[in-house]
Amino acid sequence: MSESSKFSPEEITRIRSLVKYYQESMFEKADRDAHNIAGHFRSKPLANLIHSIKTRAKDPSHLEDKLFRKLTASKLEGGKEFDITTENLVERVTDLAGVRLLHLHTQQFPEINAHIKSLLHEEGYLIIEGPEARTWDDEYRKVFEFHGIATIASERLYTSVHYIVQTSAKSKRTIEVQVRTLAEELWGEVDHSMNYPVPTEIHACKEQIKVLARLTSSCTRLVDSIFSTKGAAEKLKQ
Amino acid sequence: MTNEPNKQSRYRAPRLAIFNHKGGVGKTTLTVNLAFAIAEKGFKVLIVDSDPQCNLTSYLIEEAVVDDLLDNSDSDQGATIWSALKPIAEGTGETKVIPAIEVSTNLFILPGDIRLAEFESELAPLWNECFKRKLRGFRGTVALSALVNAVAEENGVDLVLYDSGPNIGPLNRIILLDCDHFIIPAACDAFSLRAIRTLGHALYEWVGDWQTIQELAPDNVYLLPGLPKLLGYVPQRFRVYASRPAAQFASFLPRIEKTVVEDVITVLARLNAVLVSSAAHPLKLAEIKDFSGQATAAQEEGVSLWTVRSGTPAQRADAQSDFQAFAAMVLRRIGVTKQ
Repeated sequence: MSESSKFSPEEITRIRSLVKYYQESMFEKADRDAHNIAGHFRSKPLANLIHSIKTRAKDPSHLEDKLFRKLTASKLEGGKEFDITTENLVERVTDLAGVRLLHLHTQQFPEINAHIKSLLHEEGYLIIEGPEARTWDDEYRKVFEFHGIATIASERLYTSVHYIVQTSAKSKRTIEVQVRTLAEELWGEVDHSMNYPVPTEIHACKEQIKVLARLTSSCTRLVDSIFSTKGAAEKLKQ
Repeated sequence: MTNEPNKQSRYRAPRLAIFNHKGGVGKTTLTVNLAFAIAEKGFKVLIVDSDPQCNLTSYLIEEAVVDDLLDNSDSDQGATIWSALKPIAEGTGETKVIPAIEVSTNLFILPGDIRLAEFESELAPLWNECFKRKLRGFRGTVALSALVNAVAEENGVDLVLYDSGPNIGPLNRIILLDCDHFIIPAACDAFSLRAIRTLGHALYEWVGDWQTIQELAPDNVYLLPGLPKLLGYVPQRFRVYASRPAAQFASFLPRIEKTVVEDVITVLARLNAVLVSSAAHPLKLAEIKDFSGQATAAQEEGVSLWTVRSGTPAQRADAQSDFQAFAAMVLRRIGVTKQ
């Protein structure tokens, strides 16, 4: 891999041994954790608001990339020590297990959030971070803030709500839960394939991905509008 | 479903099962008489009749009372193990604590029930829910253990003995995982050797699965200890002539010992050394003779093999000394001492 040249043999060995540990001792657990939490989310009434659920345990090669990035970052931060070990890996990398809930439009989110919180509470999961909404759209920022959800500006034009959930304080294993609309998923998938693990350097692609963000945001907004129009029309009928 | 942290904590008395999934190895006779012998030493013993055949309940409680218990067990006044666990099996609520019956000094029984089979049929799906990390699964899987906590505490019991049915099913799985110790009763025949082999491998699977489930469990959930330690085995029903086991039975003893070592101890040690830490020498904890006629009479009278009216005084004395020695060995291995 391209990083190899930038790191000492000791650093490479260290990261590879973390990845090996993950692959041999944690991967199956992460996979099970992701499936288990998705199982709770598939129950009604939350299921009525959700289009589909994706689960995954982090691919070992993606973990390797991430750890090399973290190592680079710690070097750039003025010799700050890279201190990830097999003991704290599950605490330091909080997306080894991941679940993504896809829905149609943003106005559904407050209700989805309420169900997620109560389900996790009932089943004894701990929400240790979030929900945090990453958004670059001022109108949606207000929607989230109105419902008491913290927002983070996203220069990359990334849009999604994140939670970090712990299976138990004892195990310290975490699951990253993401909630986004189908249109946001389209943008996210295109962005991911162009910019991951190495950001594209093609100017036109960078430009078009930014335009796509505006289009997909408009799609979500349009779906919101369609449903609110339908709701208003039905009210009038009564 | 509540989200209250589970306040359940494990009651101090050690739990022991005399377990073999092969029937006809004299499990019930062995369990009852061991319980009598331990009770005679001044320790309070609770026997849990967790075999849906309820042989032990009919052994210790008179027929009319048993009939009454079984006839009413499904009602709100029910007082059998089924009455206690029914809300879990039917998903209607929490375990209902029932009183134990004191059948003689220091000896208590939690009455069994044929309908316990209905609870057992719910245990397989509940087990799968544990793997899905659903609280409902954990609550149901530990329900029997939680019931034993409550009943044992109420009576200040020193030791809990489970009597289990002759099978490798989901009920025996939670019983063994709830036990601190277990003893294998073995008959002197080839089928019994085969049974010991499958027993070792079943336990290996159960304990291994439970480790996985424990890792999945939320905080503050009451869990089974999941580490049943083997104490040893007891060969059953061999005839004794001139104080020595008859030849055809004697030839089986080393084969039983070898099978226990190779297919239980070695297998369990691979999983966790703790599981075999109590399996000290000698592995053979007692030799129980064939008290056949006496055993039937004792069962009818609901008493021990040495207080039964049938048999000769010498036979009774024999039975008493066999079981007293067995009880002393068990108490020593488990570490139960007078306070």
